[in-house]
Amino acid sequence: MIYNIVFILLFLLGLYAILTNRNLVKIIIGVNIMESAVFFWVIAVNSREGVLPILEKGSEIIQVANPLPQALILTGVVIGASTTAFLLTLLIEIDKFANNINLDFLKGLRD
Amino acid sequence: MENNFILLILIPLVTAFLLPIIELVNTKIRKAFILLSASGELLLGIIIFISNYNLIKTSELYIEYNLGAWSSFLGIALVLDNLSLFFSILLVISMFLIIVYSIGFIGHQEGKYYVLLFLLLAAMQGAVLTNDIFNLYVFIELITITSTALISFNRNRESAEASFKYLLYGVIGGLFFFIGIFLLYYTTGSLNMGLIFSEYQDINQNIQIAVMILFLTSIFIKVGLFPFHYWLPKAHSTSTGPVSALLSGILLKVFICIFLRLFWQVFSYELLVDMGLAELIIYIGLFSSIIGHLLAFREDDIKRMLAFSTLGHIGMIVAVLALNTASGLLGGLMHTISHLLMKSTLFLTVGYLLQYTEGSHHLADFNGIAYKNKGIFVSFILAALGMVGIPPLPGFFSKWYIVDAFIQSGYNWAALLILLLGLISLFYYLRYIIRGYNQVEAERIVKPVKETSVLSVFYRERVVTLAVYVFTTLMLTAGLFFWWYKKPLLIIANLITG
Repeated sequence: MIYNIVFILLFLLGLYAILTNRNLVKIIIGVNIMESAVFFWVIAVNSREGVLPILEKGSEIIQVANPLPQALILTGVVIGASTTAFLLTLLIEIDKFANNINLDFLKGLRD
Repeated sequence: MENNFILLILIPLVTAFLLPIIELVNTKIRKAFILLSASGELLLGIIIFISNYNLIKTSELYIEYNLGAWSSFLGIALVLDNLSLFFSILLVISMFLIIVYSIGFIGHQEGKYYVLLFLLLAAMQGAVLTNDIFNLYVFIELITITSTALISFNRNRESAEASFKYLLYGVIGGLFFFIGIFLLYYTTGSLNMGLIFSEYQDINQNIQIAVMILFLTSIFIKVGLFPFHYWLPKAHSTSTGPVSALLSGILLKVFICIFLRLFWQVFSYELLVDMGLAELIIYIGLFSSIIGHLLAFREDDIKRMLAFSTLGHIGMIVAVLALNTASGLLGGLMHTISHLLMKSTLFLTVGYLLQYTEGSHHLADFNGIAYKNKGIFVSFILAALGMVGIPPLPGFFSKWYIVDAFIQSGYNWAALLILLLGLISLFYYLRYIIRGYNQVEAERIVKPVKETSVLSVFYRERVVTLAVYVFTTLMLTAGLFFWWYKKPLLIIANLITG
């Protein structure tokens, strides 16, 4: 239960950061907070006590932890990292052309 | 060769990664290689269509391919059925023409451009063919990243800003998708769409609704419907000609396919109807349609005008699909075909014509453009009239079925609204057509094409013109012989609604 509350709070914090900040770097940080919130939540909710695979042959299976959420989160983290890198690259590009990373001065981004 | 449809994903993927190597060896054979692999993909699509023709007619087509021979419970499965085959054939044909057009049109950084284009093609084919919901997420993210790179390909301020905005929306949309996937996994315990479908009825009703709202939000962000439409006109108007055609004509249709697959074949659409959400989708779609057409009407920038018009048509397609009747789905799928052909033709012709305005998108620079290249401008007029819905063109027939579907479901006002919006679009296209035939002072006409223009090379101009004419011919064929594809689409529509 506490996980869900923390998740929702973090997620809304990230959304709030995106919606209210005028600085593009802070917007990217907001996106990252949202992503991390989702990743933490999935890991926390899916965690189970048990033996980790790969199991040895002939070992008695009492309870096995599910490794799939971790594997999927790993994919998600990789995608998140690459999109963040791409957002930062575009930020450099914008800064090069407009000499500014504030939303108030970037007409193409504001409306 | 039952499982050869995996090659639809593999050919562009392998091509994308072979291209840099080929560039190291010899730059001159690059174009031959691109053309070879694009035509190989086209040929493969046609072979798959012909070899499964009998199964398509009886709507029994269902081929499952388990990657790495894992069972579908554990591994990733690709599925070829009527719906995915329809969208993948559309992708194959239109992407082949876009690639041919790009061979003539793109003049700088060609190596990078084709790598991105083929990656995007592989991702779109994957998103259409996959039967695993997490795999679908990966392909959607791949689509987002490659298309962002293609939008920022121009390397100027506008496209950098537009692609930043596009990527920001795309990442947030992907995040909602991610949460939805994990709610599904947590409650049903599987990621395979077929298995989720069989378990979906039994899970907690609140979670069912939450999952649906999450996926709906994600798809609305990706398609660019009303509350999230801000990225769409920028991204579609600042990119180069073939990329705009790709984004506006083809890419959005992939998300329409995902919408159909998720909400009819994974979740039960009846629950959406019970919740009243289906009604909400219809209203959002129609409202997007209204604002799309109205904003297009007051726009003086031709590419922005076309982008807003895309918003109008996509809203209409989503609204008519949300009716959840066989005739509604038929209308939506028919308009998917005709909008793809017409909007791609429009963006490709405009991309060609912009060389005469020295890159300016403004209405005022369109004076007398029709005299500079009559053939291309006729293609532009035909596609524009098709968008409005003039009889022998495909837009008329698909709009006919859409209006028919709305009337059958009792939305008489919506049918009237669509006709009215068609009338509005007639006005905003006519402005450009009339401008094109304006007589201008002689000195402006004789002004030569910009020296630096890539299209001044002889073969490039030929290739671009050829691609545009083939697109126009396809569009006219789709309009004149619409009963050819009406029946297969009706089969798909009946299959989906059950």
